[in-house]
Amino acid sequence: MKNRKKDTLISYAWSSPSLILIALMVVFPILYTAYISLTNMNVYHWFDFTVVGLENYIKALFVFDSGFLSALFATILWTVVNMILQLVIAFVLVSLLNIQKLKLRKLYKTFLMFPWAMPGYVSILLWKTGMFNTQFGLLNQWMEKLGQETVRWLSNDVSAFICCTVVNLWLALPFMIMIMDGAMQSIDRSYFESAILDGATWLDRTRYITIPAITPIISPAVIITVFTTFKQFDVVYLLTQQAGAKTGSGFHTILTYAYENAFITNNYGYSSAISIIIFILLLVFSAKYQMKEEGDR
Amino acid sequence: MKRLLSILLCACLLLSLAACGEQTLDPDEANKLVIWHDKEDAVIAALESYLATAVPDLEVVFEKKTSLTDSLKLVGNDPSAAPDMFIFAHDKIGVFAEMGILAPIESLLEEGALENYLPMTLEAATYKDTLYQLPLYFETLLFMYNHRYMQDEEVPTTTDELLAYMENNTGRGRYGFVEQHSTAYYSAAWIHGFGGSIIDDTGVPFPDAQAVKDALNYHSQFVALMPGETEYNTVNTLFLEGKADATIGGPWMVPSARAAEIDLGIAPMPTVDSTGKALAPYSGVQGIHVLNFAAEQKTEAVKKLLSVLTAPTIGIDLALASGCAPANSLCYDDERVANDELVQSMRTTAEIAVPMPNIPEMDVMWTVVGNLLTDVNLSGKDIDDSFDAALAQANQLIDAMK
Repeated sequence: MKNRKKDTLISYAWSSPSLILIALMVVFPILYTAYISLTNMNVYHWFDFTVVGLENYIKALFVFDSGFLSALFATILWTVVNMILQLVIAFVLVSLLNIQKLKLRKLYKTFLMFPWAMPGYVSILLWKTGMFNTQFGLLNQWMEKLGQETVRWLSNDVSAFICCTVVNLWLALPFMIMIMDGAMQSIDRSYFESAILDGATWLDRTRYITIPAITPIISPAVIITVFTTFKQFDVVYLLTQQAGAKTGSGFHTILTYAYENAFITNNYGYSSAISIIIFILLLVFSAKYQMKEEGDR
Repeated sequence: MKRLLSILLCACLLLSLAACGEQTLDPDEANKLVIWHDKEDAVIAALESYLATAVPDLEVVFEKKTSLTDSLKLVGNDPSAAPDMFIFAHDKIGVFAEMGILAPIESLLEEGALENYLPMTLEAATYKDTLYQLPLYFETLLFMYNHRYMQDEEVPTTTDELLAYMENNTGRGRYGFVEQHSTAYYSAAWIHGFGGSIIDDTGVPFPDAQAVKDALNYHSQFVALMPGETEYNTVNTLFLEGKADATIGGPWMVPSARAAEIDLGIAPMPTVDSTGKALAPYSGVQGIHVLNFAAEQKTEAVKKLLSVLTAPTIGIDLALASGCAPANSLCYDDERVANDELVQSMRTTAEIAVPMPNIPEMDVMWTVVGNLLTDVNLSGKDIDDSFDAALAQANQLIDAMK
């Protein structure tokens, strides 16, 4: 009994550096944000702020109006569409990459990782100017060559949603491809050989061997990607909502909506309250997902 | 062991007592001034060169910060991390003054030092009747045209003439006139031309609602003849590539226009026919601000630096180095400055230009007006409905600031 207690203590001692690091980098900012959300820290009380209780949360409820609800709906749709497309496209590409006797496999993989090597900010602005720009973008140059009218690609909700999805896929696919490729390569080839001997088609092999085998390996990556997609800000903001370069689209995720309706106020107490509410929303989604996972098992 | 422990405790106690004592700066530290800025190299080189001879006993260190305002919000009251002074546009004065990190500078200046400053620059540097900035130079938007496509006699003096020119010269990938029509900074000129404003001195948004609506309604005719994109790069590239005959742009465009071999002309802003008022753009006054700590602890060094910066020499140096318009009117007596078409145009525009509001509430109005312009100009929404939504958003955001 004494030895077990000692072992537990030693385990904690060994883990303590990483636990402290996690506490400093993850837990502390969350707790500090929660604390600030209970204060009146704003331009008029920047250094002399005091605790005001739940006042900011009551005020924040006004931001959660119909605009916020439509942004929340758009965010869920955005996450679902992006995740489905990411998984399908990554799966197809990885399946092609894993065709036996494929030549220059490493070269293709390097090309597919290329978007990851570029800073996201640069990639997004390159897409905005190089592809979608009405005057100079490649898409409209093609339209002109085909004798068609030029199009303002980012000006309405639907086309802006599609353009943002394309750019998000460009940015996110390398990660999913890498994880899925690793998962696919870890499957024992003998399963496929036996299946082929039993007359299984490619579809059968995919359904009964590949997908069940890679699912547990890619699950953590999928969960991470769900959350990064859900709290996406850069792609939507830089493509359509950037100050001084708005395009006319009303497509907002909850973060771009909260930014425009709270974060620009320089009221840190109020903005923190909104951040904490969004954080709780994400926690609820996460808990629901985890419970569903547990149930499936 | 006990003895060692007691010695250590005594040492800690002494150190804490020493730390509690009044901090005095050593002479080297008192003569060192750190200045944050976000300016182009030519401006800082001119300042460094001038200060090296004007105040050789001071060590002035310029540090470039890309997100200067955010950094100041974080460390503005921490002398160990904050600068002593910073150079920035005047529009953040209200925010920093309310935060309590800015020192009023009138008492740090010699008597009569500001006598020759352009009134517009002093107005911009004042918040709640207190001067918080020593203006160095200012920028404002100008009407620019390409001589190759727009002859001097064709330059519109009124907005109706401009509209007629656009109708006759727009099409097939060419534009008679382009501007960032759906951004607040550029559209303010049109709103002012109709007698309206984005926000008043007391923080009331759109004090003259009808003037704003009239401006939006009239301006929409021009927007229809301009490209859908409203961002800086598209508009500038169209003008610099010779695809647009005229534009409204800042002096920062001039070096690129000259590099692109544009035969550049600068003209006064057109007058709105129905009101008789010229399009009055916002002006941004760049100047030096002093932080509280430096004003209290390095008073003499700060006074010395501010004193030499009020001399016309530095304004002339800055105008010659980067084409900016000095805040001190004496600089314009210099022959080289007097002959600079760009600088003189800005001085002329300064007579009608409106300083960007420096109250904290303006921070949210950039977004509100941006949304209003986007709704009307790019999404084709009804002006009255869009205006009501913008006003509601402005009131909600201003309320949320407190």
